[in-house]
This record gives sequence, structure tokens and C-alpha cells, in this order.
Amino acid sequence: MDPSIQAGVDIQHSGSPQVAHEIVKVTVAYLPAPVPFRHVFRDETVIATVRIDALTFFGVQDHQDRDKHEFFLEFEGRRLTNMAETLGQLLGPHRREAHFNLIEEITKGAIDE
Amino acid sequence: MTAIYVPIDRWVVAARVFSLTAENLRRAGRDGKESGILWLGRRDKTAQITATAFPSGTGVEECPGHWRISPEVFGTVTRWAAPRDLCLLGVAHIHLRGVPARLSRTDRNCGVQIPGILEVIIGDGGDQLDYRKWSWYVCENGDYHQMSKAEIGKRLTVDHSIDFESCTVNAESVLFSTEAQ
Repeated sequence: MDPSIQAGVDIQHSGSPQVAHEIVKVTVAYLPAPVPFRHVFRDETVIATVRIDALTFFGVQDHQDRDKHEFFLEFEGRRLTNMAETLGQLLGPHRREAHFNLIEEITKGAIDE
Repeated sequence: MTAIYVPIDRWVVAARVFSLTAENLRRAGRDGKESGILWLGRRDKTAQITATAFPSGTGVEECPGHWRISPEVFGTVTRWAAPRDLCLLGVAHIHLRGVPARLSRTDRNCGVQIPGILEVIIGDGGDQLDYRKWSWYVCENGDYHQMSKAEIGKRLTVDHSIDFESCTVNAESVLFSTEAQ
């Protein structure tokens, strides 16, 4: 298995039939990182969870020093702002894969040099 | 910091990275503005810097006192770099003539805080062509430290035969791209 793939979904293999949750293969690229974050999520997973898991994988976090540093997910060239949206809502019923970019935004603080 | 960031001992840099950096940044320098460029490549104990991404136009601020690119520009670069297995290894920008070629507090604070990332300041508005006279900083332990001339000599190698590719980007798209050559 690719070491950058993290298992996240418990697929039931027991005898009794299960109501299948749709799963989505997610890839997140972060420009300074040599490998992407890859993870399989259920489609009801909210974007906030994908973002937090990607931040953890890449070892970065939102923070404030002189400036405000925030990370956002970009999907198909647009910034995702609704963190409560699910992957299913974002992708629609048929898409089972999604590629995001993780990008840092630095908002200048009040203290100027 | 996570294990995905292999500690970098040395950098091998395609010679074209330096010449294209100078070509792109001097234009702004001669107009009295700061400008910058991203260096990309493959990260390993010996990292290879084999590509440049030059931000230009929408989403890029080139001003006398600062150079800044929007997050959307980083998005465009990411979309160009990811399929090529390239990651960000450094950022070079110019300081104008009369401004010390050293990392300012703003440069330090707004730099990419990932171990091993280079921040390079080119003095004299980009007219300083000798890379050994540029100011080289590397991010280590959450801050940037300036490399001495001896350290630069020890950790940096210029390679004239290594493949090189480049692009020019703005906040919306890749404006120009070359393939590896």
C-alpha cells in the first residue's frame, strides 16, 4: 500500500448484508509537501474533517503571530468556504473521487514593520 | 513536523534555475519593484531543484517595498506541479538597490514554514547574478537561518545537465509552460 494512503473507512465484511455507505477517494496536494494526502472517506464526511485531516498529515495548522495564517481547501479552482458541506453534496451522486489543494492564506496583522 | 519532510542535506540545482530567476526578476527590479519566483523539484536527502514557477499578472503584487502573491497563485502552481511530482523547495525574491539583501521580518513571517525550504534574497534589484553572493536562508526548527558561504559551498551544487522545466502563472491559470529539457 502506498504509505501516504491512510485507511479511514471500516468496510464491513461480516455475513449479514449491510447498507453500503458510499465512499470517496480523496487526494489533497500541498505545494511544499513531496507526497499528497490520500484517504478514503464516507460521502457524508464534511469538508471540515477533510481539511483537519489534511492539516494533520502535512504537519501544519492555522495560527496567528504578527499575521493570521489560515489554510483552505481548493476544489476545481475555487476556494471551499462551507465547512459543513459533505463530500456527497460537493461531488454529487456519481463521483467517487475528489482532488483538493491545500493552500495557506496569510492575512497581514495590525503591526507593520 | 511529520515524517513526509525528509531532512535535506544538499541541493542540486539545475543551472537554468539561476539564469531564469535572474532574467525574470531583473525586469521588475529595473522598474523599481520587487519580484519573486518559486523553485520546485524533488525532495530527498539530496534535493533536486529542477523547475521554476514565475508568478506574473493577476494575483501578484510587485511594489517598491514588497512582493506578494495571492493564495490563488499558489493554487495554480500546485495544479501545475502536482502531476509532475514537483514540490516547492524554495522561494527567491529581489530587494532593490540600497535595500540590504537579507530576510526582513515580513519575509520571515510570511515565508513557508516547512523544514528545508529555502528563502533566497537577491540584491541590487536582481542585477547581482552570482548566486554565491545571494543571501541564502533555510527553514529549520521553525525559523530561517542564514547559510554561510562555506555552508553554501558545501550544500549546494549547480548541475548543467539536469532536466529543467518552467512555467509562468497567475491567479487563474498557467500562462506559459515548458516541458522538461
